[in-house]
Amino acid sequence: MDSKYATLFEPIKIGPKTLKNRFYQVPHCIGAGSDKPGFQAAHRSMKAEGGWGGINTEYCSIHPESDDTNRVSARIWDEGDVRNLKAMTDEVHKYGALVGVELWYGGPHAPCLESRQTPRGPSQYASDFETQSYCKEMDLDDIKMVQQFYVDAALRARDAGFDIVYVYGAHAYLPLQFLSPFYNKRTDGYGGSLENRARFWLETLEKVRGAVGSDCAIATRFAVDSLSGQEGIQVEDDGMRFVELADPLVDVWDVNVGVIAEWGEDAGPSRFHRMGHQLPWQRFIKLVSKKPVLGVGRFTDPEKMVEVIRAGQLDIIGAARPSIADPFLPNKIKEGRVDDIRTCIGCNVCISRWEIGGPPMVCTQNATAGEEYRRGWHPEKFEPKKSDDTILVVGAGPSGSECARVLMERGYTVHLVDQADKIGGYVNNVASLPGLGEWGYHRDYRETQLNKLVKKNRDSQIALGAKPLDVDGILGYGADKVVIATGAHWNRDGNSALTHAPIPGINADLPYMVTPEQIFAGSKPIGKRVLILNADPYYMAPSLAHKLAEAGHEVKVATGVDLGRYMHFTLEYPNIRRLFNELNIEIISDVWASRAEEGRIELYDVWGDGHKIQFNGVGQSPRTENRTHKWHEFDTLVLVTGRSSNVSLFRGIKERQSEWASNDIKGVYLIGDALAPKLIADATFDGHRIAREIEEANPQYPQPYRREVAVWGVAHMPGATSEIRYRL
Amino acid sequence: MKILVPVKQVEILDEDFDVQDDGRSIDPDCIEFELNEWDDYSWETALQLMEKHEGTVEAVPMTVGDESADDGLRKCLAKGGERAIRVWDDSVAGSDPIAIARLIAAAAKKEDAQLVLAGTQSTDQAHGQTGIAVAALLGWPHVAVVSALDYSAADGKLTVRRELEGGVEEEIEVALPAVLTIQLGINEPRYASLRGIKQAKTKTVDLLSPADLGVSTDQLGETGSAARVRRMYIPERSKAELITGTPPEQVKRLIEIVNELKGA
Ligand SMILES: Cc1cc2nc3c(=O)[nH]c(=O)nc-3n(C[C@H](O)[C@H](O)[C@H](O)COP(=O)(O)O)c2cc1C
Ligand code: SF4
Repeated sequence: MDSKYATLFEPIKIGPKTLKNRFYQVPHCIGAGSDKPGFQAAHRSMKAEGGWGGINTEYCSIHPESDDTNRVSARIWDEGDVRNLKAMTDEVHKYGALVGVELWYGGPHAPCLESRQTPRGPSQYASDFETQSYCKEMDLDDIKMVQQFYVDAALRARDAGFDIVYVYGAHAYLPLQFLSPFYNKRTDGYGGSLENRARFWLETLEKVRGAVGSDCAIATRFAVDSLSGQEGIQVEDDGMRFVELADPLVDVWDVNVGVIAEWGEDAGPSRFHRMGHQLPWQRFIKLVSKKPVLGVGRFTDPEKMVEVIRAGQLDIIGAARPSIADPFLPNKIKEGRVDDIRTCIGCNVCISRWEIGGPPMVCTQNATAGEEYRRGWHPEKFEPKKSDDTILVVGAGPSGSECARVLMERGYTVHLVDQADKIGGYVNNVASLPGLGEWGYHRDYRETQLNKLVKKNRDSQIALGAKPLDVDGILGYGADKVVIATGAHWNRDGNSALTHAPIPGINADLPYMVTPEQIFAGSKPIGKRVLILNADPYYMAPSLAHKLAEAGHEVKVATGVDLGRYMHFTLEYPNIRRLFNELNIEIISDVWASRAEEGRIELYDVWGDGHKIQFNGVGQSPRTENRTHKWHEFDTLVLVTGRSSNVSLFRGIKERQSEWASNDIKGVYLIGDALAPKLIADATFDGHRIAREIEEANPQYPQPYRREVAVWGVAHMPGATSEIRYRL
Repeated sequence: MKILVPVKQVEILDEDFDVQDDGRSIDPDCIEFELNEWDDYSWETALQLMEKHEGTVEAVPMTVGDESADDGLRKCLAKGGERAIRVWDDSVAGSDPIAIARLIAAAAKKEDAQLVLAGTQSTDQAHGQTGIAVAALLGWPHVAVVSALDYSAADGKLTVRRELEGGVEEEIEVALPAVLTIQLGINEPRYASLRGIKQAKTKTVDLLSPADLGVSTDQLGETGSAARVRRMYIPERSKAELITGTPPEQVKRLIEIVNELKGA
């Protein structure tokens, strides 16, 4: 190990426990909770294997009154949950890591869609996060009762084998709702002065400490600044004062900033936040606490980690996303393999799955995240190849480069071919958009790994800047298997999800209409007045609007879908909207285009036809005609309408399937955007998946994965049965 | 017409490497071998001539080296050509570029080649001598650092271009037999296909000894070489400094350094 990183590997005591190093996976959701114990145990223990000294659950509900359905939390409501979570603590302990549980009561932020219970809070209000969900104002009995929920949950947590027990008060969950005047309007002993507002939290800590403090370290997660000025908590005021009050009751502080309604200021997307972006607030805590302080900030660079600890800003490096993108980050630092780190790109696609509510977490960089248990994928270890087949991968974008990388890891002879001079494909364009430079780490990781791997096999080759392969070239290439990863392109004729047909007059060959690719290539001049026609729900239109407005164009976005809808899920939405305001970008919502000409486009309100449906016979619309059409002027029209796969090569080979055998070709497969346009995360997954399953009878189609479902006939609640029984 | 293309496996050093105890070479554990970059271009030149004059031009890659050098020859054969030549026995070890050129010149004669296309230089040693020495030994005309080339089968002449300083180009006509050294960028070397790589494994590499070529051992190795490596070492590096502190502190330090360098 490089001695300059030694600081990061120094053990540190937290209460009755010792953390073996300074790498600490803070609580983060994965979609496992307590109901998918295999997923939970495998995902967390993978990080323990990769060297993280501390590992946590996601937020863990202490009672059915805190039910976040459809978002997936862990739960520690009963013995069944204890049993399931114990699978995780046992696995993590095998690697000598400490394991923590983040005891959570949400108040009205948890809408209780499954449990149908009513959340309680310090006062009555509607959640600023789940705006349809209200809480009941607690009376003194309620306070005692809810505090007892924490204690009971802490006891169950101890039994489940947890070393660290949290009272979770970040992201404006219950303890912080008491502390913050934004929520707490009480006039009794639990409201008003800081001491009163802190009382609920302090008492809860005291009770939990009394119950399990000799066996477990007591942690609290505290958002030390709500980033809303006087309305909430400000670090130099209530923030530091609360830390002083609670310091004797906690063994370790886990500090961050922000509230759940805008938690993108905590889990900062790289579009807006650099590494260590919370330090300006976090650094105050060590000034008043005698206890170890840990904090997050997308810490991926060991130099920065050392600097932060040396400067006395934090004692322990907390990480969610860096640990998802690279579960082996600590070991790679320890082994001097810093260039092998799969650096988190800060896209927040991991978070999007939690925000959507339900689906398991995925990661753009690490295709194995979430697949540890169900597909048996280890991020650093690979099944050796099962044949001597040679494989040609056409296209070195996210999907093709990942496929080639994994095939090479498995020992296959691989040729990766691309016309471009650089690995990365579409990512090279995307990373040139404003604020998305760090997305280039996706390419960099694969580039570094491929360049290392190709040296291990004399017959493997990375052919960049290569002559485009045609069908004959592929048939005669001499590969046993061919993987086509030729990507996708933006539609040039206005075709979109909204009409599934070209728009009359739209044609990207015209000098005043451009696709995103043409903007990237800089192949056409862009006029002063830009109109972006958008039917894409993610970042392309907002990013191009940002880019062009910054370059001095007057930008309007006419959109037929919710502009940047997916950016709500990646937590980029609030700040991109603020940026739009700053740049005077105008949004024309709920419109689509009927036709376009040089200099103008005709838009109509998508809800402009009649609201009543009526059967009017064949050839007649069931609604009255839409008469909302209006012309809008532009100098350049930008077409972000939809995407289509680049499939001509695949189709050409498929047409000549009869010649495959005589050319010794066993199969030709399609992955990534070439199969269907998709997120970079999913394209990467495609490439990874087919590389892991290349020797299956037809690797085009995935093998079934192991599912974790509640199985009929097995019950875990005391006295429960699997028989159907009615209360009559 | 037969073209002989001498190629070389060059040493690629690991990021961290050590000089051997003898102080004259690099620890072989820190070295990987790769085909010299220039040779990709000379071999591509030969392949293009062979394709353009199908049936009348034959190209043969050759190398002077031990068994491990076969890799480089097979890399060439994966792109085209039918056979290759490797020259070696223990007496060759320690040869300087001139001694190596003796073997190449002898091979050119034995093969009855009319054209030798060498790389301008090798990435590891960068002598830039071998090709020119071959021409001198054969008594053939030579043109160095060739950036374009045209061959007319009818009159057996080559028209070649060289880039000179300041954007000036020189065009030269040479009669065969001749030796050219080829510059990077003369063409876009092709990539081998998997089929080519598989086929290359079954193509012949003729192993010849210096005796087979009529070169006596006193013309080779350290005894046959005029140049000898006396010392290999890593020059002292000027030191780098990480400037830390607040921006004003950093600026202060920066100004100090600039002044130090200016001698102020
Ligand atoms: C997928 C995901 C889920 C998260 N879920 C939780 C959670 O359950 N509880 C919590 O306190 N923080 C949660 N967070 C926030 C992280 O703990 C952390 O504060 C934030 O991601 C910033 O750290 P990072 O920059 O290291 O990612 C989550 C973060 C991610 C990426
Ligand atoms: S999905 Fe994106 S933000 Fe999340 S861990 Fe992976 S790379 Fe980082």
